[in-house]
Amino acid sequence: MKYDLKRFREEFKQYTELRVQENRNIQVSVVNGTIMGNTRASISGVSARVFNNGYWGFASHPLVNDVEIRKVIATAADNASFLSKRLSNSPIKLPSRPIQTENDFATSRGHISQGDIIEILREIDDFVVTNCPKISSRIVVMHQLDMEKSLITSDGSLAYSIIPRALIYVILTVEKDGVPYELAESYGGFGEFEDRFSQPEDIYPGILEQYNHLVYKSEGIYAAAGIKDCILDADLAGILAHEAIGHTTEADGVLGGSIASEYLGKPVASPLVTLVDFANHAMGDLCPVPVFVDDEGTEATDVTIIEKGILTNYMHNKESAHHFGAALTGNARAYGFSDEPLIRMRNTAFLPGESTLDDMIASIDDGYYLMKSSNGQADSTSEFMFGVVLGYEIKRGKLGNAIKDTTISGVAFDVLKTVSMISHDMAWSCSGMCGKKQSIPVGMGGPAIKCNVNIGGK
Amino acid sequence: MMNKQEIIEYSINALLRAGADKATGILGYSEKHELNAHAGTMDLFRTTYNIGLNLACIIAQKKGSMVINKVDAKGIDEAAKGVVAMAQSSQPDEANDIAETQPHNSFSHGPEKPDRQLMFSRLQEFLAYSAKAYPKTIIEEVNFSFTKRHSILANSNDVLMSSMHGMYDFSVMFTSKDGVNTSSFNYTYFQDTHLDKPLHQCGSVDRLLRQSAEQIHTHPLPRNFTGKVVFTPDSLSSIIGTAMSFISDVPLITGTSLYKDKLGTAIADSRLTLHAAPHSPLLPAGPDFTSDGYQTEDVTVIDKGVLSSYLLSLYGSRKTGLERAKNGGSNWIVDAGNQSFDEMIGSIDEGLLLCRFSGGNPSDNGDFSGVAKNSYYIRDGKIQFPVSETMVNGNIAAMLHAICGITSQRVMTGYTLFPWVCFDGMQVTGK
Repeated sequence: MKYDLKRFREEFKQYTELRVQENRNIQVSVVNGTIMGNTRASISGVSARVFNNGYWGFASHPLVNDVEIRKVIATAADNASFLSKRLSNSPIKLPSRPIQTENDFATSRGHISQGDIIEILREIDDFVVTNCPKISSRIVVMHQLDMEKSLITSDGSLAYSIIPRALIYVILTVEKDGVPYELAESYGGFGEFEDRFSQPEDIYPGILEQYNHLVYKSEGIYAAAGIKDCILDADLAGILAHEAIGHTTEADGVLGGSIASEYLGKPVASPLVTLVDFANHAMGDLCPVPVFVDDEGTEATDVTIIEKGILTNYMHNKESAHHFGAALTGNARAYGFSDEPLIRMRNTAFLPGESTLDDMIASIDDGYYLMKSSNGQADSTSEFMFGVVLGYEIKRGKLGNAIKDTTISGVAFDVLKTVSMISHDMAWSCSGMCGKKQSIPVGMGGPAIKCNVNIGGK
Repeated sequence: MMNKQEIIEYSINALLRAGADKATGILGYSEKHELNAHAGTMDLFRTTYNIGLNLACIIAQKKGSMVINKVDAKGIDEAAKGVVAMAQSSQPDEANDIAETQPHNSFSHGPEKPDRQLMFSRLQEFLAYSAKAYPKTIIEEVNFSFTKRHSILANSNDVLMSSMHGMYDFSVMFTSKDGVNTSSFNYTYFQDTHLDKPLHQCGSVDRLLRQSAEQIHTHPLPRNFTGKVVFTPDSLSSIIGTAMSFISDVPLITGTSLYKDKLGTAIADSRLTLHAAPHSPLLPAGPDFTSDGYQTEDVTVIDKGVLSSYLLSLYGSRKTGLERAKNGGSNWIVDAGNQSFDEMIGSIDEGLLLCRFSGGNPSDNGDFSGVAKNSYYIRDGKIQFPVSETMVNGNIAAMLHAICGITSQRVMTGYTLFPWVCFDGMQVTGK
């Protein structure tokens, strides 16, 4: 819903953001050939945030009309006033880098029906049944999220965007000796379903590769516990970048006590390591979650978090940039219309190096090549834990047996100091949601990274 | 403009007019007032209103559903046509159905409106208390809210239920810091219908704040061992949640559940009894009806170690031929044991007090591993020191059988009422 917000400028008595937003979701799930989920959701509304003498007020309402918009602005101002009358912060002037921009990535192909989507998923399900003979259970899920926003701020930003993401998840299970083994993979990313899956058969080679890995895993071995030379492939490098480094360098986390507060300007990684939170383009290509303007109306720019091993920057909203005397970065993002902007990553990735994956594997005598993660968590200390659902042992420079599900852990700022090789290629993923009060889509990625990491075994 | 009951009735009729054989609507209204603090300072006050109307229909055993928040006649009519079109394009599944006729009912719990001034005072009191009692602890984030939720469910079998909940929710995240030495972050939360006590006296709040301050300086685990791990009421949630995920719709329908064909058999030590009890007086009221249209009842899921109920929805029940659960799984209560916490720790030669578990999703076979956060080494019957970089490996099925103690003390968070539980045979490894 594109809404003309300019006429509400006269209502802004203090620093104010006004946003009208609609999130549209589609989800279809096919479980062992049966349609178990067939849903759509469209949730829209208006919100305002006001800054008064160092305190914020926020309000939102699902009805979007002139009357409710004016009420929402007034309620947000009242809420800020409620705090400022009872507390005594020093007033500050928020920094500003306004932008007027439109970024509409809706498909130009015309939308297909829910029935067509179901047919495509059933074709994929049929492909799995026909080509993956050892499968005992399969789930195929399609999920699309379009976020449409209109934003105006009292410091001069005016923005409109539609940012879509479409994914197909394929979850396969095989049984070996009565024990089930599962491997999930996501396909797709930025763009609407019509643009991502105009030829669904494009994902078939990936499904066959996923199936073969799963069969190997079911016949695999447990990893030997301990600190090992490991190669973290792009999926794991991405989650390391996001969870273990990214969250510790969000400026609100730094103010909350993260260990990164001690390291700005200091070496935290091997000189081979450069880590960037890209705003919208990386190395000439559009990122999986492009952000051109954030939800405070700041023009979004790339943040080089680690440059050649040195911690160089945090990610900021307007208030934290003022606090640290840093440049604005445009990292303030909100998920829904009723959510306030929080400092969030956009597209966080290690930059590629110069090695080949083959050379990296050949360089390891006894270690692991870890390819896919299930989930990940990290701490304010940068200590991390990632589930690993696909990997292979490396023996005398060659790939060996697949390993069963395991976990890796370590302190990221220690682990990154052990990085000795980085591959020259890179891959992105954006299939999950990052949780931090609100969930929000993020991109993460990287090349393959060779490092020492603690792997769990049995 | 229609009132709430008129909206839900109009919705059911709109679905039937559009061609639905069977129709269900769930209308949800919420009004939230939320105070927020960051880095120890109260800095944001939010007021949000939300509406959600979930429309679902079945035509010739084919189902579609849609969620909208434009609830005028035009918006509902358009959505109803869309849902019917979605159902028509789906595949028939004889497990699709709606709840049968039940008496109309309405419920109300908790206050209708927040006491905003009391909320402000309680949060100000909490921030002052934590700054004074734990000066090295940074209160990274607080979300403290009052939410009034009103839900109305109706279906074309003449089911009509209405439920209003007014509830205060408090969540806090914190880290302790002394120069370059930093604890792991920790967090906790609770909910209640009143604010009679200072916030730090509720749930686990003060205990975890005190522990955080202790955890600035950690030590490596002296040696790897296989033995006893005490889960706190806080970390027990992750284990209970994981075990319960195996008895829900998808793993039972796909046949991948660890507890497939285990109903009526012992899946845990006989000391463990677990209830999902939305109507228990020990916790604030939980859901009054399920999302598929049944009035909830309390259920004992594990009775003296025996799996006595799955958590199947109407659809899951019809799909598997097993009994539908009496609620959707909430308001968890573990019966108290007969050991005091001090007796439990005193009985352990070597073990781990696991206060937060940062773990990967378990495998389908129940294997899991993860990092013991904010946790303590136990030796010779005493808690010794907080540990660093310590991993715990186990198997959900095996550990439920290996329970060796449950405390008489329990902690109420509003969502759960849990004791400390000691599990034997767990693998604990240091760096």
